[in-house]
Amino acid sequence: MIAYEQFFLDNGLQVFVHQDPSTKIAVFNMLYKVGSRNEVSGKTGLAHYFEHLMFGGSQHVPSFDTALENVGGSCNAFTNTDITNYYMNLPAVNLETAFWLESDRMMYLNPREKTIETQRKVVIEEFKQRYLNQPYGDAFHHMRALAYETHPYQWPTIGRNIEDIINYQKEDVEEFYWTHYRPDNAVLVVAGDVTVEQVKRLSEKWFGGIPKGSIRRLDIPSEAPQISKKTKTIEADVPTDALYKVYHMPAKLQDGYLEADLITDIIGFGRSSLLEQTLVKNSDLFASIGAYILGTVDPGLLVFSGKLEKGKTAERGEKALDEVVKQFLQQPIEETILQKVKHQAKAMKTYESVQLLNRAMSLAYFAHLGDVNLYQTEYEKKTAIPPKDILDWGHKLLREDNASTIYYKAIS
Amino acid sequence: MSLDRSIAPAFVIPEEISFIQPMQRTLPNGVRLYFNPTPSIGAVRIEVNAESLRGELKIAKKLVSFFTLHMLLEGTKTKTASELDDFFDYYASEVEIISSFEHQGLALLTTKKHFSQVFPVFRELMTEAVFPEKELQKRKSQKALNISIQFEKNAIRASHLFRQQLFGDSHPYGMISTEQDVELIEREDLLDYYQNYLWVNTEIFVTGDLSETDLQLIESMLGDLPVHMYDSTPSEFSNMGNEIFIEAREKSVQSSIRLGCHLIPKSNPDYHALAVFNTFLGGYFGSRLIKNIREDKGHTYGIYSSIGSLRSADYWLIAADVKKEFTSEVIDEIYKEIEILQHQAIPKEELETVRNYLIGNLLSSFSSSFELITRFKGIHQAGLDLRFYEDRFEFLKKFTGEDIQKVGKRLIQKDWFVGTVVG
Repeated sequence: MIAYEQFFLDNGLQVFVHQDPSTKIAVFNMLYKVGSRNEVSGKTGLAHYFEHLMFGGSQHVPSFDTALENVGGSCNAFTNTDITNYYMNLPAVNLETAFWLESDRMMYLNPREKTIETQRKVVIEEFKQRYLNQPYGDAFHHMRALAYETHPYQWPTIGRNIEDIINYQKEDVEEFYWTHYRPDNAVLVVAGDVTVEQVKRLSEKWFGGIPKGSIRRLDIPSEAPQISKKTKTIEADVPTDALYKVYHMPAKLQDGYLEADLITDIIGFGRSSLLEQTLVKNSDLFASIGAYILGTVDPGLLVFSGKLEKGKTAERGEKALDEVVKQFLQQPIEETILQKVKHQAKAMKTYESVQLLNRAMSLAYFAHLGDVNLYQTEYEKKTAIPPKDILDWGHKLLREDNASTIYYKAIS
Repeated sequence: MSLDRSIAPAFVIPEEISFIQPMQRTLPNGVRLYFNPTPSIGAVRIEVNAESLRGELKIAKKLVSFFTLHMLLEGTKTKTASELDDFFDYYASEVEIISSFEHQGLALLTTKKHFSQVFPVFRELMTEAVFPEKELQKRKSQKALNISIQFEKNAIRASHLFRQQLFGDSHPYGMISTEQDVELIEREDLLDYYQNYLWVNTEIFVTGDLSETDLQLIESMLGDLPVHMYDSTPSEFSNMGNEIFIEAREKSVQSSIRLGCHLIPKSNPDYHALAVFNTFLGGYFGSRLIKNIREDKGHTYGIYSSIGSLRSADYWLIAADVKKEFTSEVIDEIYKEIEILQHQAIPKEELETVRNYLIGNLLSSFSSSFELITRFKGIHQAGLDLRFYEDRFEFLKKFTGEDIQKVGKRLIQKDWFVGTVVG
């Protein structure tokens, strides 16, 4: 459990306070409910590029970073498919500066022309550094494009390609801001050595006067069920073959989501997992392989990803993977394995919550899903699921006609 | 009442930071244990940290310490590799391998709830590992593949080549491991290292909400760890200076640049000034390198300078992955920024920004109780104590631009630099 108090401002801004008097620091975390799922084809990567512009100056603050550094603080942000999250860490005595800075860029962001162009270059370099200039770096570009046909999850958050980044216009940026960066589309969490009264007063003072958004946000196209297996072969100058196999799965709050999460926990998480023991430690086929889910707001993917030992092919790897999955589906799940997964789910919460910033982000994340108590209830629900339900969902999801496979092959 | 947003809220710079000293005990085998209690936190971390004699031993086979450490989880006298995997995963506990230039060891991250069950098995890894041949073969094949993948990554390759330039390719810190080095490893090498060179000058760092009984369990189980006390001599290096080493890669769309030199030890009175010099240049997001190369020119996603820790003297590293056609321009700009920082008066606003940022950063790094032990460890291993941070705090409150420039001019000289470019 993370203790909190919450309130709303009249403009719809949702505010949470998490007190921790054991520290002299405050964390100020603002989550906007916008990510690459809110983008359209041809303008992909805009949400992430926009995150860069948020540091480019607002009406009364020419340099966000300098103003924060001046009071002993630091900041960062990230964008994913579903959210954009900004956080500051500063001496708790200077909390008001965080309110001033964050509210000013929500009130009226005013990036300089120069910033708009330079950040475009910076983001293009980020694209190259992370996705082009790395072995296997573009694997997820291929995987998403193969698995999704209509939903914006078909491109990664960085964007589909560099051309899209080059083509953003000033109007795109402005429209994006006035549509998504409004108080009724945001969640604020203030944590650390702070009081509820103080946060209420400062929230009213700095955010109270910012009007609600008035532009309707576009509906996001939904993905039709997949009807047959899809595959794609990539040939690249890499040291060994890699295999990526994904299955469509339910959205974060839908039935079956937690069961899919449990399936990957059992099959593919940790050194004792089925995949590690069968295909890595006791086989000369894979050098590594794991499984996980993309826990997204809209229906996501259950992912298997592995690297083959040199000389072994991705196609052979897939056959062996399928065999392990088949065996998993045919046998009852042992009690000790369920117990292990429960321990892990619980310990993960313990480890994560050591950091104040993680606690603040968790509150913001679950609040954005619609109910902050999901932080606790989701875990309770997950650890109470009977083994039969896990296997039933396994049979429903892990079907060939629901799968997409990328054979990422080394040119020999 | 309307709000005047053009006026920044008043702020204060913290005047006190408490640097908490861990509790200390000495075990029967002479090993020191340092403990920071963290009431209300459910996580527990125990680090058994030994000195690596890699620099001194000059073992012919480069990867012996690597494989010794990584094989500790592959089977003990009482448990097979898969039983160990099941055990630690069942209790959601992580065994972490520690391996740096000067240190090696194991750490256990577990929960208060499972601590007393998990700790004895963790202890087994330290003396009861059996190094089975089958697991070793798999590990070797994984490592060989990993080496070939890392070779393809410009940033990693550049860091390896930088080490080679800085420490020399005949010193263990500067050697680059190859797939052939993996081939050479045999089980006997690991057994010998395990017996004789693993637990040298061992110390224990513990954090968590542990009771006296828990501490006694640690004391009794680690009190008989056979440790080697050894009066080691840290490796000494000097600045040779060299032309930038270039490894051209036609297909790359970016170049990885790594530049640096040897500095001074943390015990040197000029150290705090030098660390602040680093901050101005490339040590924070508002730094001159970020402003110039990223925010003004857009040639990179990130450019940073940082200080690496070694006992005899720390070293400096400036790193960036840049747009390929601007590689030499960026290198010129780095040297230019160093020179400007050394010779042109630092603007007052920038001076205050860096001062306040660093004080806030120091406060923040001592604000999470679970991490206090790591702060202590860092400075303790340099042969100093928490007074280092007190001195730093005092220095930050009152340094002048001249203080920084005087030290920067003397301790950083262009012809001392070594560097590499890959891409």
